Amino acid sequence: MTDSLVEFDSVVKKFGDFTAVERMNFTIDEGEFVAIMGPSGCGKTTTLRMLAGLEQPSEGEVRMQGRVMNAVPAHERDTPLVWQSLALFPFLNARENVEFGLQMRGVDAATRRKRALDWLDRLEIGEFAERDISSLSGGQKQRVALARSLVTEPKILLLDEPLSALDANLVIRMQSMLTRLQRELGITFVYVTHSQSEAFAMADRVVIMSRGRIAQIGTPKDIYRAPDNRFVAEFVGRNNIISGKIKSSSGKSVLINGSLGDFKVSLGGRAKPSPGDEGSFVIAADLVHLSSKKPRAGNQIECSLISEEFIGSVVTLFLEARDGSEFKVQIQERELADMDLKHTGKVFVSWDPERAHYIGAD
Amino acid sequence: MPVSGKRTQSALVETTPKRLLSHQLTFKNALRLPIIIWQALFFIAPLIFMVAMSFFIVRNYRMTEAFEMKNWLKMMGRDYFWDSYGLTIGLATLATLVVMTVAFPAAYTLAFKVSENTRRWAVFLLIIPFFTSYLVRIFSWYVILAESGVINAMLGYIGLGPYIMLNTKFGTIVGYMTLTLPLVIILQTLSLANIDRSLVEAAHNLGCRPWRTVFRIVLPLARTGLIIAAVFCFILSFGDFVSPYYLGGSKPPTLPILIVDTVKSGQQWPRAAVVAVVMMVTLFIVAFGGIAAAYRRRVR
Repeated sequence: MTDSLVEFDSVVKKFGDFTAVERMNFTIDEGEFVAIMGPSGCGKTTTLRMLAGLEQPSEGEVRMQGRVMNAVPAHERDTPLVWQSLALFPFLNARENVEFGLQMRGVDAATRRKRALDWLDRLEIGEFAERDISSLSGGQKQRVALARSLVTEPKILLLDEPLSALDANLVIRMQSMLTRLQRELGITFVYVTHSQSEAFAMADRVVIMSRGRIAQIGTPKDIYRAPDNRFVAEFVGRNNIISGKIKSSSGKSVLINGSLGDFKVSLGGRAKPSPGDEGSFVIAADLVHLSSKKPRAGNQIECSLISEEFIGSVVTLFLEARDGSEFKVQIQERELADMDLKHTGKVFVSWDPERAHYIGAD
Repeated sequence: MPVSGKRTQSALVETTPKRLLSHQLTFKNALRLPIIIWQALFFIAPLIFMVAMSFFIVRNYRMTEAFEMKNWLKMMGRDYFWDSYGLTIGLATLATLVVMTVAFPAAYTLAFKVSENTRRWAVFLLIIPFFTSYLVRIFSWYVILAESGVINAMLGYIGLGPYIMLNTKFGTIVGYMTLTLPLVIILQTLSLANIDRSLVEAAHNLGCRPWRTVFRIVLPLARTGLIIAAVFCFILSFGDFVSPYYLGGSKPPTLPILIVDTVKSGQQWPRAAVVAVVMMVTLFIVAFGGIAAAYRRRVR
């Protein structure tokens, strides 16, 4: 495993009685863009802080390039972090902020000035070099914080929800800047966020955390299309989860009997449920077919339309099935306009068994 | 008609707040009045009177209204006045330096190293000294500092001393510290506790060693509060009569003692007023300078 830059080996972090991180095992490769994502309090920031040396693991080891980092203090690591609050020093101007890390490494004044200005130019804020931090806009501050972290040419950059304070337009621009920067520099980015769109837009791999544990690690597409468990399926995307008892299993597919009838689900690979087991499957809201007429056969549910949520080109319809459970369908806005559903009240949702994803009991 | 109904409504909406606003304004001004009257009667007026008094003259132990430079020329021309002035500034400055230095580690610990609960208790305990009279606290130092006092008794066991600590400048400084240390620790603690922790962590994260972080990050961030604490310490020490009198032995006299002496010797209130005006001006300069430095936008 020569390529792995960071290894978490059975890492546990406790604050008093509270366990923030529970037996965490995963590795981050060199040059990878990893997003750690989860709801607040899931331990994602604690994980990042352990990488930066701002927290020490209670158990287990954090290794970087094979070296155990547990006892290495923060100021001896080269793991710059971009804070959610940015944590720019208010009594220094933009350039002085960027120079700070170089000054701490004993770089002489002329060199560090040049390198700081180079970085500010590279991030397109060279003209603000001598400005006070308080006079900069949110996006400009963001760039100063990035320059300050990257100026020491680290192998890894840690980011703790750096875009959460920006408005939506700026977030998109900063996202593309971050991905471009990461490709150009070829260094590892570890990006903590609670935002699915940020994580999926930028990361090569996403780590989903829940209550201090890793719920799933995978590419954005894997996580989106093949969630490992109910938590991931509920946290990510717009998924419908249907549970029931396994009626029969053919090895390649199962028949699940739920309160809304029998549904055929193909099995992906790992799961081998046997008849009688409890099981669930996920069908993503955008993989469902919607029709006003009852389909001839196949997986289908009859629903009534409750409400719709219009977010531009895509519309999410909230339907209610016979047993009162909610069912979400995402379709193109123009498709919906062609269908003319409203006055019929009843709609049918159906899907291809290949599209459904089996997730086991929990 | 619905339309006209709407109109009357909007007219009402427009007029009511205006009336309310003017009522509120008179109310606000009425609330301000007591403090303005108080300040005018008991601060501004006496101050003006004191300045005026410094130009009065004393004849046959009676003060007479006049406008003569005599008192000023007399006081300014005397070496003992300038000695006393220098001594007072020197002692107050020394006390400020010592108190700020002694208080900082304590305040730093309270602000960064203990739980919020402990910090609350500590601040409460630091307020307790103010419950007892300052004079009583100063007298209690007699027991500790006297030639046969607690400290010398203990030093005697290991064959040292006795040292004379009462009626010395050391005694004065101890007294000043009694007066100012708790307050300075509280002010320092509060200004340090307000520092955004992520800035301290960011410094560590960028390779700044813990000690260096104190000087490079913590001190600049706490600058305003620290300077205000120092200004308070200086003002309180500079104007204190009790410590230099009872613990410092009043010789040579500091300016507050000089005021008392001047008044006692021949009812020289006007000359005492000269000293007081000089003290006021000095403190104004220190306070303005301090506050200007505290709120200056950037330090280079």
